[in-house]
Amino acid sequence: MTIANREHFLTNIASRLGRSPSKEKPKRIWKYNPQAMVLKDYSQDELVQVLVKQCANIHTAVMTCTVEELPHTFQKAMESYGNGTGIYSKDPRFGDMGLTSLLTLNPALHEWDYEKGNANIKMAEQANIGIVISDITLAESGTIVVQTSKDNGRTLSYLPSNSIAIIPKSTIVPRMTQAAQQLRANPVTASSIHFITGPSNSADIEMKLVVGVHGPIRMTYLIVEGI
Amino acid sequence: MSMKISNEQFPNRLEENIQNEFMRNAVSSAQHRFQTRRAAAAEQLGNWEEWRNHGEEIRQHVLANLDYYLYELSENVVKQGGHVFFAETAEEANDYIVSIAKKKQARKIVKAKSMVTEEISLNDHLEQAGCEVIETDLGEYILQLDDHDPPSHIVTPALHKNKEQIREVFAEKNGYTQSSVPEDLALHARQVLREHFLTADIGITGCNFAVAETGSICLVTNEGNADLVSALPKTQISVMGMERLVPTFEEMEVLVSLLTRSAVGQKLTSYITVLTGAKKALEVDGPEEFHLVIVDNGRSSILGSEFEPILQCIRCAACINVCPVYRQIGGHSYGSIYSGPIGAVLSPLLGGYDDYKELPYASTLCGACTDVCPVKIPLHQLLLKHREVIVEREGRAPISEAALMNAFGFGTASSSLYRFGSKMASAVMKPFGNGETISNGPGPLKAWTDIREFPAPNKERFRDWFEKHKKEGDHS
Amino acid sequence: MKISLFATCLVDLFQSNIGKSTVELLERLGCSVDFPKGQTCCGQPAYNSGYVKASRDTMKHTIRTFENAQYVVCPSGSCAYMLKEYPHLLEDEPYWQERAQMLALKTYELTQFIVDVLKIEDVGAKLEGTATYHPSCHMTRLLQVQSAPITLLRHVKGLEVIELPLKENCCGFGGTFSVKMSAISEQMVDEKVASIQSTGVHYLVGADAGCLMNIGGRMKRQNLQVETKHIAEILNMV
Repeated sequence: MTIANREHFLTNIASRLGRSPSKEKPKRIWKYNPQAMVLKDYSQDELVQVLVKQCANIHTAVMTCTVEELPHTFQKAMESYGNGTGIYSKDPRFGDMGLTSLLTLNPALHEWDYEKGNANIKMAEQANIGIVISDITLAESGTIVVQTSKDNGRTLSYLPSNSIAIIPKSTIVPRMTQAAQQLRANPVTASSIHFITGPSNSADIEMKLVVGVHGPIRMTYLIVEGI
Repeated sequence: MSMKISNEQFPNRLEENIQNEFMRNAVSSAQHRFQTRRAAAAEQLGNWEEWRNHGEEIRQHVLANLDYYLYELSENVVKQGGHVFFAETAEEANDYIVSIAKKKQARKIVKAKSMVTEEISLNDHLEQAGCEVIETDLGEYILQLDDHDPPSHIVTPALHKNKEQIREVFAEKNGYTQSSVPEDLALHARQVLREHFLTADIGITGCNFAVAETGSICLVTNEGNADLVSALPKTQISVMGMERLVPTFEEMEVLVSLLTRSAVGQKLTSYITVLTGAKKALEVDGPEEFHLVIVDNGRSSILGSEFEPILQCIRCAACINVCPVYRQIGGHSYGSIYSGPIGAVLSPLLGGYDDYKELPYASTLCGACTDVCPVKIPLHQLLLKHREVIVEREGRAPISEAALMNAFGFGTASSSLYRFGSKMASAVMKPFGNGETISNGPGPLKAWTDIREFPAPNKERFRDWFEKHKKEGDHS
Repeated sequence: MKISLFATCLVDLFQSNIGKSTVELLERLGCSVDFPKGQTCCGQPAYNSGYVKASRDTMKHTIRTFENAQYVVCPSGSCAYMLKEYPHLLEDEPYWQERAQMLALKTYELTQFIVDVLKIEDVGAKLEGTATYHPSCHMTRLLQVQSAPITLLRHVKGLEVIELPLKENCCGFGGTFSVKMSAISEQMVDEKVASIQSTGVHYLVGADAGCLMNIGGRMKRQNLQVETKHIAEILNMV
C-alpha cells in the first residue's frame, strides 16, 4: 500500500489553480438535477413495464412470474439454453425463492464455493449457463447490478456462454441514480460492482452490431413478483 | 504507438486520406448512425440541456478542486489495499509499470482499451521489456494484429477498416479460415482472446472515471473485455489521465449516462464496472494486487490556462461524429490518436505546435462539435483560441498572411480607407474575369478559383446604388 | 420603423443585388432604411484567423458607426452573430464592452427581424418553382435562428420548398478556411452540391453571402443549372 510522488504532483496542480494544495473537502452544490426527473413517481408495476420494454432494445429475453411460479419459469429459461452445465452464486435468496432443490439436485449445476478456489473459474469457463440474482435493477436501461463477494465471483457473470439473471421485483428502481445513492450509503464497497445491461456486444467491425463478444452471448431476465 | 501516429506532413496525410474511398464511405455512414442514435438518446430524456449543464458543472467543479479530489482518491485507493503512483511524465508512468511487470516476471499482459496508455506509448515499453501485450477490445485487437495500424476514432478505433481487410489480417496472422461475416470474425477473436485472458499475468485497463470518495475505478464497455482483464490476472494496473475523476458515485452515474448516450446512443452500455481496490479476503477471482497510475503528461499546463475547458472532456467522440471535416479526411489525417475537434484542440496542447499547428485551422468553425458536447466544451472557440495563440503569442503565422490581416484591420477600422480600397477592387480585379465571375484569381484568390468561380466585384458598389436610390426616393 | 442596414463587406463589394433586395424588401414592409456610410466589415476575417488585436479596431469602428441606430439589420447570420459576440470579445475593455452590448441588443439578422420584430410571416412574395434551403452554420447554431427563414420561404406563393438532405453539414466555406484548407473545402462543397442536386430544385436559397458564394461558385464551375439566391432576393420577388 504505497503512494508515490503525490506531494510534488498535487502542489503543481494547486499552483496552476493559483493556490496551495487543499485537504478540505469541497462542498458539492449543484444547480441542476435532471436525473431525479427520470421515471419520477412511477409505481413498481409501471417500472416493470418500462423494464420489460427496454429488454427488446438490449437483445435480452424477459419473463415475468410470481415466486410460486418461479421454479417452473426458471426451468423453462434453462431449457431455452439447452440446459447443460451451469454455475450460480451462493446466495440465500435462492432459498427464499424456492429454487434450492432445483439447483442442488441437478448434478450439472455448481454453486460458487470459495473453498474450491480456482476450480470455480474453471467451472464458469466451461458452464453453459451462469445464474445470478440482481441486487438492484434499473428500469430505464434494463440493467442488473451484481456486487461480487467471496460467494459471487466476477467471472460467474462473464465466462459462461449464457446468462440468467433473477430480478426480484422489489429491487427495481427508476435508473442508475437510485442505485448510486444506495451503493453510496453502503458502509462497505464491494471490490467489484457490475452494472450489466444485456449480453456483450460490439460494433467494431463496419459498425455492424455483433451480440456476444467476450461475455455471455445470450441473456434472460426473470422478473419475480412478490419478493 | 504514441500520441503521434505519422511522420508525414499534414498536406500529405490529407491527400492520402482524401483518396481513401472506403474509409470515407465508412466514416460518413458511421457518422450517420452515430448521429441518429445520439440524437434519439438525447431527445428521449426531454431535458438534454439540463443534463449538459449538470455535466458541465460537475466537470468544472472537479477541475477547480482537482488537487483535493486526487488526494482523496489516493487516500481511498490505499485504504482499499491498492497502490497509487503519480506520474508527471509519460516516462515516469512507463518506468513504473515496466518495473511492476519485471517484479512479477510477467510474460503476458492483457489490456482493455485505453487512450492514455496509447498516448504514453506504454505497449512499446512493455514489449521492449520482453512482455507480450495483447489488446482485447475487438477494434484495438484488429489494429494491433495488423502491425499496429493506428486508431482512427477514439470509440471505434478500427472504423477505417472493412471486414474483408479484417478477415485478411486474421488469416495472415492467426491462420483464420472462416468468412468475413462480422459474427464469424468476432467469434474468432473471442476464442483467441479467451485463452489470453485465462493465461495473462497482468491486466491493464484505462479509467473512464475514478471515484474519489471510494477509491474506485469505473470502466465502460460493451464487450466485457475490461471485466475479464480485471478479473483473471493476479495483478491489475489501471492508468488514468489525472482529470478523469468525480467526487462520488452520484456524479459518476450522471457522467456515465452522458457518456454512453453521447458515444453510442445507448442508455447504458452492456458493462459498467466499478472496481474498488484488490480482491477482498476469500474472494476467488479479481486481482491480488491493484495499482493506479495517475498521469499528468502535459495536462497540468492546460489547467488554469484559457484551454482548461478541454480537460472537461469525457472522451465520448460525439464531436468527432458530427464533424464535417473529420467526415472528409478521417482520423489518420490528424496525425494523432486524438482526432476530430477534440483532437484538433488537445493534440497541439499535449504534443506541441511543431507537429500540430495546422489542426486548429482544419475547421470551418461551424460549431457542430460545441453543440453536441455533453459537457459543454466550447470546442470551436478553443480552436479559435489556438489560432490566436499561434498568431499573436507564438508568431508562427506566415508573413504574407500577417501583412494581409493587419492591412485588413487597418483598412476596415477606417471608413475612408475602406471606401478607397473597395472602390479600387473593381478596377484591380477586372483583368481576371469576364465581368460576372472570376475563374483564375490572383494571389490568395487562386486557391478559391482552383475550385470555384468567384464573383467579380460589383460594377456599382452597393453603397453607390443606395445613395442613388435614396435620392430617387427623395424626388418622388 | 427606422432601421440601419449593416450590409456586410461581401454584399457591398461583390453581391450588391443582395443589398438592393434587402433594402427594397424592408421598405416594402414599411421600414425606413438607412445605410450608415462609415460601415466596413464585422471583423471576422481577421478574428477567425487569430488576428484578434487587428480585429478589435474593426469592432470598435462598427460600434461607433451604428451608435445612433434604433435597429441594426444584417442580411447575414454569420455577421449578425459576430456583432452579437462583440461584448464577449471586448470584455477586458469595460467602456467598449458596454457600447458593444448596446449594439448587440439591437442587432438582428434579416429573417429574424422580419418574423420576430415586424411579426410578418408572409411578405407577399411570389415565385414559381422549387427551392431548397441551406441553413448556414453560424446562423443556425450560434445565432440560433432556425425557423424564421423557413417560415418566410413557405409563404412565398408558387414556391415549393424541398428539404435539403444532410442540411446540417457545413458547406466548407469557413471564411479563410475555403482557401487555406482548399483540399478539404472542395470535398465538403462537393458533398453539399450533391445533396442539392439530389433534390432537383431550381433554386438554392441561403441567408449568408459567404456560403452562397462558395456553393454557387462551385455549381457555376460545374455548369449546373441550379440558381443560387440569397433569401432577400427571393422574398423581394413580387
